[in-house]
Amino acid sequence: MKHAIHQLNKAFDHRVRLGVMAVLMANEEVSFGDLKETLDLTDGNLASHAAALEKAGYVQVNKQFIGKKPNTTFTATKEGRQAFQDHLDTLEKLLRRDG
Amino acid sequence: MKPAVDPLAQLAEIRTIMERSSRFISLSGLSGVGAGVVALAGAAFGHWYLHTQFRSDDVAANPYAATPYGSTFGDSSGFVRLMEGSAEARMATLPFLLGLALGIIVLAGLVAVYFTRRRSRSAGRSLWDPVVRRLFWSMAVPLVAGGLFCLRLYVHGAAGLVVPAMLIFYGLALLNASKYTLDEIKLLGITEIGVGLVAMLFPDWAFAFFAVGFGLCHIGYGLLMYNRYERQRRADPVA
Repeated sequence: MKHAIHQLNKAFDHRVRLGVMAVLMANEEVSFGDLKETLDLTDGNLASHAAALEKAGYVQVNKQFIGKKPNTTFTATKEGRQAFQDHLDTLEKLLRRDG
Repeated sequence: MKPAVDPLAQLAEIRTIMERSSRFISLSGLSGVGAGVVALAGAAFGHWYLHTQFRSDDVAANPYAATPYGSTFGDSSGFVRLMEGSAEARMATLPFLLGLALGIIVLAGLVAVYFTRRRSRSAGRSLWDPVVRRLFWSMAVPLVAGGLFCLRLYVHGAAGLVVPAMLIFYGLALLNASKYTLDEIKLLGITEIGVGLVAMLFPDWAFAFFAVGFGLCHIGYGLLMYNRYERQRRADPVA
């Protein structure tokens, strides 16, 4: 049987992506600024990881304008929530096996 | 070599991020105790002031003494006479009551922020992060609406309903905000609503219910929260 470690989702390989998904699991909709502040990231850092998650179909990026100011918010998609939950389950499985 | 995936660390970090991003948990119980003490002192001061204002039957010292209520000497509650007195007497007392309410709010707020900042600082958290902003707005909206409603009640002559309305709106504000912070806040909100509903039945006892709802309830829940989350940690630095 394949070791559980191979079931870990590559899309969540990075700490920032893990953090973004964790915040989006706990909150319905989060703005770019709030997400940046909560995870203590730079604009570029967050933008690139968010784009990666969007490409995987796990995060929906909503771009709106409030007046002339762009306002970007993120929500986790249904697939994203499922994938993240599976990722957590796999992590737990790994723990149980090693412990 | 360090393994590429440390599941325990990842799970712990995910749990922290999920909690930190959705709830403000550094609320200090001492904030509640401090705010409660301020409210008790404010209620006592307000009671004393109304008592002296609406007691004297000396017309020169008290323009309202000529009213049937202003002339009854030694009545225990100046508030009852204010409540049942003339519209002019009510309007003349409004600045005092507004000042008292604002004074209590500002002082209680400062005390609450002081203790909570002390706690969140020791936990290495900023006091003005996205969750705290959401918490703030979820309380501010019902509170401002309630404040304006109370003002209108008072001006309109239903002074006896002001304190019950304050308690009910405050309870609803807490209930609304509780999804962003500790669970005890939900219980405190429900308690405040209950006290407000009972207070509605006894309008004469407004100051007493104010003292119970804003004073004793805050102190009680504050001590409960302090015992639950803070005291042990201080006694046992390892935890």
